Amino acid sequence: MGRGIAQVAAQVGLDVLLYDVSGPALKVSLAQIKESFRKGVEKGRTTAAEATQALSSIHPRKNLSDFGDADFVIEAAVEVMEVKKELFRKLDTVVGPQTILATNTSSLSISAIASLTKTPETVVGMHFFNPAPLMRLVEVVKGQQTSAETVKRTCELAGLMKKTPVVCSDTPGFIVNRVARPFYGEALRLLGEGVATVEEIDRIVKLAGGFRMGPFELMDLIGIDVNYAVTKSVYEQFFQEPRFRPHAIQRQMVESGFLGRKTGKGFYTYDRDEH
Amino acid sequence: MSTKKKIYIVGESPLVEEYASLCHNKGFIPSVRLNPEHTAAKLPKGIARASKPARDTYLALELTNTDLESKRTNLVQLEKVLTRGTSILSSSVAVSVSEQASWISHPELLVGIGALPSLLQNELIEFAESSATGRAAREEAERFSTNLGKKSAFVADSVGLVLPRILSMLTNEACFAIAEKVASGSDIDTAMKLGTNYPLGPVEWAEKIGARQIHAVVSALYHFFQEDRYRPSPLLLLAARQNTFMRLGS
Repeated sequence: MGRGIAQVAAQVGLDVLLYDVSGPALKVSLAQIKESFRKGVEKGRTTAAEATQALSSIHPRKNLSDFGDADFVIEAAVEVMEVKKELFRKLDTVVGPQTILATNTSSLSISAIASLTKTPETVVGMHFFNPAPLMRLVEVVKGQQTSAETVKRTCELAGLMKKTPVVCSDTPGFIVNRVARPFYGEALRLLGEGVATVEEIDRIVKLAGGFRMGPFELMDLIGIDVNYAVTKSVYEQFFQEPRFRPHAIQRQMVESGFLGRKTGKGFYTYDRDEH
Repeated sequence: MSTKKKIYIVGESPLVEEYASLCHNKGFIPSVRLNPEHTAAKLPKGIARASKPARDTYLALELTNTDLESKRTNLVQLEKVLTRGTSILSSSVAVSVSEQASWISHPELLVGIGALPSLLQNELIEFAESSATGRAAREEAERFSTNLGKKSAFVADSVGLVLPRILSMLTNEACFAIAEKVASGSDIDTAMKLGTNYPLGPVEWAEKIGARQIHAVVSALYHFFQEDRYRPSPLLLLAARQNTFMRLGS
């Protein structure tokens, strides 16, 4: 996700420092960004000159100490609280009080991450959606201590990056990963109760509701394991609120290795070249 | 459709007007009776009111979701005044077809329909049968759907059917989130449309469908399953009393 965010920032003319603890990983990220720009030129989404200009404004860095002058840091490490906390502890010693520290997370508490810093009022959540260059939404998440100024500047940055920011509070699942739960949860229960089949539920949701994809098609696309993990996370964070309870069908699919498109089998079966 | 068939529609606004209007546009001759608290609703051009169906009515629709007493009364009355053998399509989003079948003497004529306001704009109509529904009634429902230019889907009998249950629960969750000040209603709509490609946000759905209708479905699910999962959000209840979301959600 980090490279997608870096690409978007560079495309709008921002000067980007791209950090990774691993040198080889950094090289891979840069190569992938370059490839993404090449495809953008090929498809006419950008000109070769713009792509070259954007690419030249991404500077790889292996040391966080280089971030002292940054106006904005967007952390997009793996979704593991200890990893993020460690990064924020280090960043806190490097950046000044004017720097906004944003974490790109879909499920971790902004307030918990902010509590490790000297300036929790400058820590904010910035939840991009995958793939970041294409998806317009950014959830701007206010932690317990995030200042109004930080929220305002974060929304401005999102706007500059041609994204649509929506402000939400620091609660499990934020907006999308919480409000979308019944879409999958009720579909799974309908299936489990024998009200309709996978195909029938998807057909009804699309043709009677106007949705582009049915819940089972969407779970296959997202990854049934990913969807199950999000559901479990929201359920646990809400102290086993029944509305978010995962369904046994999800667990069984994950345990069977039927994870959706990426494994060729989920609620539907896919040909190899469809993955 | 070549023949002008008569259809009798009873129930609540705006469902009655929506179905009557489409039936009229597709060549049927609809006549309607609105429930007492809905009689002020303005009917579309070409739609006549009638206290009872014409003798040669070929199909009747009962479209009440928010007041089950009225619904039961309507079904019992319809059965008395319709020519014997006339099928009845009855909205089954807030009460199962099986329960409705137990109210009447000829359950073989009853087919459930997933009727919620505004859904008729889409391509497919959802139906459900009770164990008593007869083949002729099912076939009549399929023909009706085809004549309206819609596809049809039959699902097993369960409160809320498929789409009304999913949509109502999405809206209920949005109401919990709004009440907890997670975000504004309009930001939730924006997030769900841009983040998940939904055609509308949950508050927008609720505005189109009506807060009372959504509340009726969620309450029925809660009553049916007796599970906390289906507990209606207090904000949904407040919205249902006012039948609007925008002032509460924005």
